Amino acid sequence: MLVTIITCTIILPSVYWMAFDKPINVPFVMYSCTDDDFMITQSVDGEVERTDTRGNKYTREEYEQKLPLLYTRQLLISETMPDTIKGVAMDMHELSKAKSSFRYKPDEKNAPQPKLYPLFESESGRANLEMPDDYFRIIWRMEFIHAGTNKIDEQKSQRFSAALFKKGFVFPAKSISGLPTTRKSCDEGYFIVDSSEQLFHLKMIQGAPYVFKVDLHEDFKIQYISCVDNKDKKFYAYLFGSDNGIYILTQDEYELIKLPVDGFDPDNCDLRIFGDLFHYDVAIQGEDRLQVDVLNYADYTKVDTYKKSWLKRSDGPTGKIAAAIFPVQLTLSQKNSSYNNFYFVFSSGFWWLVVNLVFAGIYFFILARRRDGISKHIFDLAIIGLTGIFGFIAVNFFQNKFFK
Amino acid sequence: MIRIIYKEWLKIRWFLIGFTALGILSIGYIFLKVQHDFTFYEGKNYWYSILFQGYQYFSYVKFLPLAGAIAIGIAQYFPETINKRIKLTFHLPVKENKVLLMMHAFGTASILAAYVLIFIVFFGFSKVFFAAEMVNDAVITVFPWFLAGLTAYFMIALIVLEPIWKYRAFYFVTGAFFITIYLKSAVTAGYAPVNLTLFVLTAALSIALIFSAYRFRKGEM
Repeated sequence: MLVTIITCTIILPSVYWMAFDKPINVPFVMYSCTDDDFMITQSVDGEVERTDTRGNKYTREEYEQKLPLLYTRQLLISETMPDTIKGVAMDMHELSKAKSSFRYKPDEKNAPQPKLYPLFESESGRANLEMPDDYFRIIWRMEFIHAGTNKIDEQKSQRFSAALFKKGFVFPAKSISGLPTTRKSCDEGYFIVDSSEQLFHLKMIQGAPYVFKVDLHEDFKIQYISCVDNKDKKFYAYLFGSDNGIYILTQDEYELIKLPVDGFDPDNCDLRIFGDLFHYDVAIQGEDRLQVDVLNYADYTKVDTYKKSWLKRSDGPTGKIAAAIFPVQLTLSQKNSSYNNFYFVFSSGFWWLVVNLVFAGIYFFILARRRDGISKHIFDLAIIGLTGIFGFIAVNFFQNKFFK
Repeated sequence: MIRIIYKEWLKIRWFLIGFTALGILSIGYIFLKVQHDFTFYEGKNYWYSILFQGYQYFSYVKFLPLAGAIAIGIAQYFPETINKRIKLTFHLPVKENKVLLMMHAFGTASILAAYVLIFIVFFGFSKVFFAAEMVNDAVITVFPWFLAGLTAYFMIALIVLEPIWKYRAFYFVTGAFFITIYLKSAVTAGYAPVNLTLFVLTAALSIALIFSAYRFRKGEM
C-alpha cells in the first residue's frame, strides 16, 4: 500500500501538470543607454511585443537601436550604429572589452561538486593553455594525482601543501572554485574556502605555488563562488555571501565589493548579469518575480530598477485545483537542484481535506454496498482521509478483504 | 529447512550463475573499454570527461541488476503458480509464513551474493583507474540501480503469487512505475541525498509477498 501511495503521489501530479501546465511568460528586460529606460520584450498573445516602461511600442529595428551595445553587430551591418553615445566614442575594441555575460542557476550550487581539479600552468609562455597530466584535491593535505597512473605525485603534493599551510590554510577545503577548462583567455587558478571559512587564491606559476589569503570581514561567510573570464579583467569572480548578497572580488587588489542589489536568493533565483561600457544589468528571476537592477559600469552604483511580478504556478487556477485534488505532490527532481531526492510540496488551504473526505465517503459507500464490516476497514478509511485520491487507489489495489 | 533451500536452489541455480557470469563479463567489458579509451585519449582527458562533462563510464550496468533480479524472481516463483504448486509447500509440516520467508530469504540472499560479487569486481577495477572520489561518486550512482533490482525481485514475488489476475495487473503497473524512482536519469552522485531513504523503502518492501501469500492461503480464486 505504501508503494502505491508513493507511486501515485509522484505519477498523478506529474500527469496532471503534463496536461494542464502553461509556461510563464517572463519578459526579457535590458537597460537602454541611449534612452536611460528599460526596454522590455515579451510575448503577448503569441506576438512579440517590444516596449519601454512608458508603454511606447517599437519595431524590431527601433528596439535594436535602443540597445546598441547588445545589438552592435546588427547595427554595424545595418549601418545604424552611432559613432558616440553619451559623448563616448564607440571604439569596437573598448566595446568588446567591456562586454560580459554571466548566468547562474541554483542547480549549479545545489549539485554534486567535483572534488578533483586540474591546476593549469599560469605562465607557461605558450599561447594556449594546456591540460595538465594531474588533478589535485585538498583533503588533509593538497594532493596531485597523475590521471594516467592514478598515483600521487608526492613531491608536488608536499610543496603545494606546505605553501597553503604557511598561509594559514586549515585543511580540508570546503569548496574549490575556478574555471577548469583550457578555453579561457588565461589561467587565474582557483579560489578555495578552507574549513575555517577563510578564502585563498591558488595558482601555479612556472611550476611553483602562488597562494594569497584574501581578507574577509570577520562574520562574512561565502555560500558560492563563480569565477569569470571577462576581457576587462576587473574582477575574478562573483561571490554569494551568507547574507544572500552578490559580491565581486576585484582583480589584483582582492577587494570584496558588494553590489547594491537586494532580493537575491541563490537557492531559488536565477541570476543574469550583462555588462557593457556603461552599465551592468543585474536580472534576478524568482518563481513569481523579475527584478532588474542597473549598476554603473565604473563604480557599481545603482542607476535604476525594474520590477515585475506574476502569480506563482501554485496560486493560479490550475495550481489551486491541484492543491484541492492532491494533499501533497512528490517529485524526484526539482528545478533548483541537480540532486534527486523526495521533494514534497504540501498543498495549502483546506480544500484537499474536503476532497479527501469525499473519497473516504465513496469508499464507505462501496463497503456498505459490499456489506463488508466497516470496523475491519477503519485503517483504510483513515488512510484515505489523510492521503485522499492516493489512498483511495491504494486501498482498492491492495484490498484488505477475504473472499468467502 | 535444508530441503526447502535445496529446492529453491534447483529452481534458480542456472539463472543465478548465468546472471553472475554475465554481470562480471559486463564489468570486464566496461573496463576493457576504459583501458582502450585511456590509451587512445589519455587519462587526463578521460578523467576530465568524467569530472566535468558528466560522462559515466559505468552507464552500461544500469539495467543489469534489474534484469537479473527479474529473471531470478520469475524462475523462483513462477513454478509455484503452475497448478498452484505452492499449496504443496504450504502442506509441509512447517509454518506457512516460515516456509515463505525461507524461500524469500534464499532468493534475496542469492541475488545479494551475485550483486556483491559483481560490485566487488566493479569497485576493484574502478580503484585501479580512478581516484577515490571518482569511485565514491560512481558507487553512489550505481547503488539505486542495485536497489531497483532487489525491489523488482520483491515485487515479482508479490505479483506472481497473487492468485487474482486483476490484482496482478494492479501490482504490475504499480511496481513498474515504482521502480522508475530508482532509475531516473541523474548527474553522477545525484542520488546521494535519497539513497538511504530508498534503501529503507526497499527493505520495507522485502516482506510485501506475505500479503499475497496470506490472501492465497485464505482460499480465494
